[in-house]
Amino acid sequence: MSAARQTAPLTGENAEPAPLLELAGVRAGYGPIEVLHGVDLKVGPGSVVALLGPNGGGKSTTMKVCAGLLPLTGGELRFAGRRMNGISGEDAAQLGVCSIPEGRGIFPNLTVRENLWVGTGTGAKLSAMEEAAYSRFPILGERRHQLAGSMSGGQQQMLALSRALGTDPAVLLLDELSMGLAPMIVTQMYDTVAQLVAEGLSVLVAEQFARAVLPIADTAALMLHGRVVSVGRPDEIEDQLSSSYLGG
Amino acid sequence: MTTFLTFTILGLVLGSVYAIAASGLVLTYNTSGIFNFAHGAQAMLGTFLYWQLTYGWGWPMWLSLVVVVGVVGPAMGAILHALIMKGLRDTADVTKIVVTVAILLGMLYLSQWIWHPEEARIMEMFFGSGAKIEFAGVVIRVHEIICLVVAAAIAVGLRLLFTRSRVGVVMRGAVDDPDLLRRCGHNPDRVAALSWAMGSTLAVLAGVLITPIGGGALEANALTLLVIDAFAAAMFGRLRSIPRTFVGAMVLGMTATYVMAYFPTDWTWSGNFRVSLPMIILFVVLIVLPQDRLRGAAIRTRERYRVPTVRKAAVWGAVLVAVVFLLTLLMEETSVTTFALGMTFAIIALSLTVLTGYAGELNLAPLSFGAVATIVAFHFGVSGTGLAARLTLWGILLAVLVTAVVGGLVALPALRLRGLYLALATMAFGVFLSTMVLRDTVEHTLFGRTFSIFPNGTLIVPPLKIGPLDLRDPETFLLTATALFSLIAVGLVALRGSGYGRRLAAMKDSPAAAAMLGQNLVKLKFGVFMISAAIAGLGGVLMASASGSVAGENFAVMASLGLVMLTVVGGIGYISGALFGGLMSGVGFTIMVGTFNDLAAATPAMETIYKSLGQLAMVATALIGMGVGKNPSGTVHDIIEGYRSLRKARPVLIGGAVAEAVLYVLTLTGVIGNWWFAILSACLGMMLPVFGKMIMPEAVLSEEELARRRSTPLELEGIDEPYTEELRRRLDRELGLPSGVDRAPRVPAPRAAEEGDVHVVA
Repeated sequence: MSAARQTAPLTGENAEPAPLLELAGVRAGYGPIEVLHGVDLKVGPGSVVALLGPNGGGKSTTMKVCAGLLPLTGGELRFAGRRMNGISGEDAAQLGVCSIPEGRGIFPNLTVRENLWVGTGTGAKLSAMEEAAYSRFPILGERRHQLAGSMSGGQQQMLALSRALGTDPAVLLLDELSMGLAPMIVTQMYDTVAQLVAEGLSVLVAEQFARAVLPIADTAALMLHGRVVSVGRPDEIEDQLSSSYLGG
Repeated sequence: MTTFLTFTILGLVLGSVYAIAASGLVLTYNTSGIFNFAHGAQAMLGTFLYWQLTYGWGWPMWLSLVVVVGVVGPAMGAILHALIMKGLRDTADVTKIVVTVAILLGMLYLSQWIWHPEEARIMEMFFGSGAKIEFAGVVIRVHEIICLVVAAAIAVGLRLLFTRSRVGVVMRGAVDDPDLLRRCGHNPDRVAALSWAMGSTLAVLAGVLITPIGGGALEANALTLLVIDAFAAAMFGRLRSIPRTFVGAMVLGMTATYVMAYFPTDWTWSGNFRVSLPMIILFVVLIVLPQDRLRGAAIRTRERYRVPTVRKAAVWGAVLVAVVFLLTLLMEETSVTTFALGMTFAIIALSLTVLTGYAGELNLAPLSFGAVATIVAFHFGVSGTGLAARLTLWGILLAVLVTAVVGGLVALPALRLRGLYLALATMAFGVFLSTMVLRDTVEHTLFGRTFSIFPNGTLIVPPLKIGPLDLRDPETFLLTATALFSLIAVGLVALRGSGYGRRLAAMKDSPAAAAMLGQNLVKLKFGVFMISAAIAGLGGVLMASASGSVAGENFAVMASLGLVMLTVVGGIGYISGALFGGLMSGVGFTIMVGTFNDLAAATPAMETIYKSLGQLAMVATALIGMGVGKNPSGTVHDIIEGYRSLRKARPVLIGGAVAEAVLYVLTLTGVIGNWWFAILSACLGMMLPVFGKMIMPEAVLSEEELARRRSTPLELEGIDEPYTEELRRRLDRELGLPSGVDRAPRVPAPRAAEEGDVHVVA
């Protein structure tokens, strides 16, 4: 089950550590429409990569490919150097890829506790999940028997993020964490992510609002029209952002 | 008081069986989003199998129970899920409904094939009907106690499953967001398979329990419909809540027994009323319960239709009439009559094209509207008596008008309903009509007039006569029906192209968006329902007059379901789909079965083989219907696409036309028989696109296809050209071999690598 995590130290003995998650010339799309036209991206162990870019650039599609939810039509998806084309979403999750989708990654018709319970599909214990979630977000503990769909957007996002806290993943994929949330909540969310990163987690995060994520990122990649057009230090990329957002 | 207690307990027993059936339905609906119309048929099959094991082969009761409920039930559900239901993601409501309806019909045909319907099969209660205990003056049979206990156990068990076990919680999550389940490391397919297995088991259990209570012999149709009554119970919980479903089931059961107990015996209709009560309750519950809000985003589905221009439609209409005329020259009089009957069914099917294909609303009981029109025409539209009796034009117009109004009235309360709910409402109406109105053969006296709605169980409907046009002659009838079909079809195409039609299409694609653009959805639905009902009414009257006399069974809901299914198989968005569906459901399969029976009679040595083939043809109908899941746009769509690619290959088309003409002339001069003509024509029609691809590939195939054909497949690479290093790397890449092999060939790959690769395969 934890093949990806085992191979990380194995390849780590070599001169350069193999990236935990790597996309090489990835092409993917929906039916006849190709969205990704050859994406190259690397997420090294313990690093935070921010995937930036305007709407329709292919960020969410890239995230889906990494999570194993969308099959590739070309190129390679690698986990710790191993080719993983055609992996299913549940197998990716079992290998330690924790992905939190755009919008709210929760089941609205289940209670908070039941949501956490479903989150234990990768082998975590429910008690550990609850402990991790409630200690980080006490409000969730107070509402453990409330339907998740009836909570505020921020609380729902806390619940979604709790899955990353309790399951001890190798890589965390975050898609538009800030969408539709108050700035204060966004800061709180990214504080949590920063804490996870400090504990050694690798993160790939897609964001439209670059300001929220750049402070915690090691590397930033700018995505336009289905390609990664430039990769570099966050401050370098930030300079390019305004021109690409305004269609320059 | 004892009576009251007795009937209360009887009601609870009936309710508990409904509850078992309904909870299975709710279970599968919640985990896969598919409302399983075949639930009753699954119960029926299981019950028949139980009868076969216990009474047919004399197995001990407990053993057959274990086999049927413990093995066959779950296996049936799991197989259904693996083969069919899994492929139904992202299809429109109508496709999901039609596929399960097809399974229902297939199971019915299958059971009638295996267990001949005319044999009587009696099932005893558990421990016999004599085993009973007395409690406070009320006699309860042991079987009834078993029912109550089992239902209670299931209620508690499901409650525990859904709240106290992870797999139950995951099941509840499956309907919200299967992708999110994957992200959490669960396999939604496995969850759905489990729920289908459980649902199927519950259905089988309900069937085995309910049959001895109902008494009488095992009958496939009746048993299927009996479990369909549980739909009403499931609707109490809005198909979501199991506790409310149980309450609904109890209400349903007790109402039924109280009607039996307390309705005056001289109310002749109370028996029919009791039978149709669940459907009446279903209708009422559907209307009263709050509905889901309009969904904002359009649902992405796989169905695609092209709409022809009015001119094209008119040309094809004329071609159809001409072809039918040429065919009448070949056929005997009896075949012409059969053909005409099929054409009237095609007209009824047109009502589905406009309603479902264009407007996206559902009607599962088109024949019931035909029945309404037939009754009106029979009572008010016949002039003359005996052989001179004729339907008048005014009679038909009145019938069509009344049907349109009835259609509007049925739709009126159902206007808020969408998709599945509307389908269920129309089905409830259809069953209600069949069990209540069409069985109403006794005389009533109202306002001093004595009449009966359906005298003697059959209506004799004479042919139509308008001025010089007398439809007693079968050929005239056929041509008139064909011309009518073409006219209505052209009208519908014109309607679809008009502003009104575009509004209908908008409503179909996204009700919310259409409402936001200021469309009055209620008015749109109301109008299209009336148009559809009117067409169905016209077709129904003609159908009745083509068959001469009709009984209630001609309008049964099963026949309606067959028509809906075959029309969707043909292509619900196409006029030609309606033609296909109508002809096939009206007469196609009758002809097939009839032919096989004739063959069986002619060659006694092969009798069993031919008889089996005939039965197989019936089951095959249903198999076609299940294929809709794979190909939701319909077969007509495929054929049209095939011919569309032939447009540039003129010689192939002309060659095909010439070959067909030769066949026709040969048949007309008696060189080959009609059957050969039919078979060869069908082959020619199917094979022409294939021939086109073989003979003129550059005219038929698309650019990409040609490019793909020119490139060498991977396994043939390097045979007639040098084997390069680049080619080897490409092969490695395509086969997923570790990319570093050529750099360090002798170092064995680490074990973990193998594990990782195995995962990819798994």
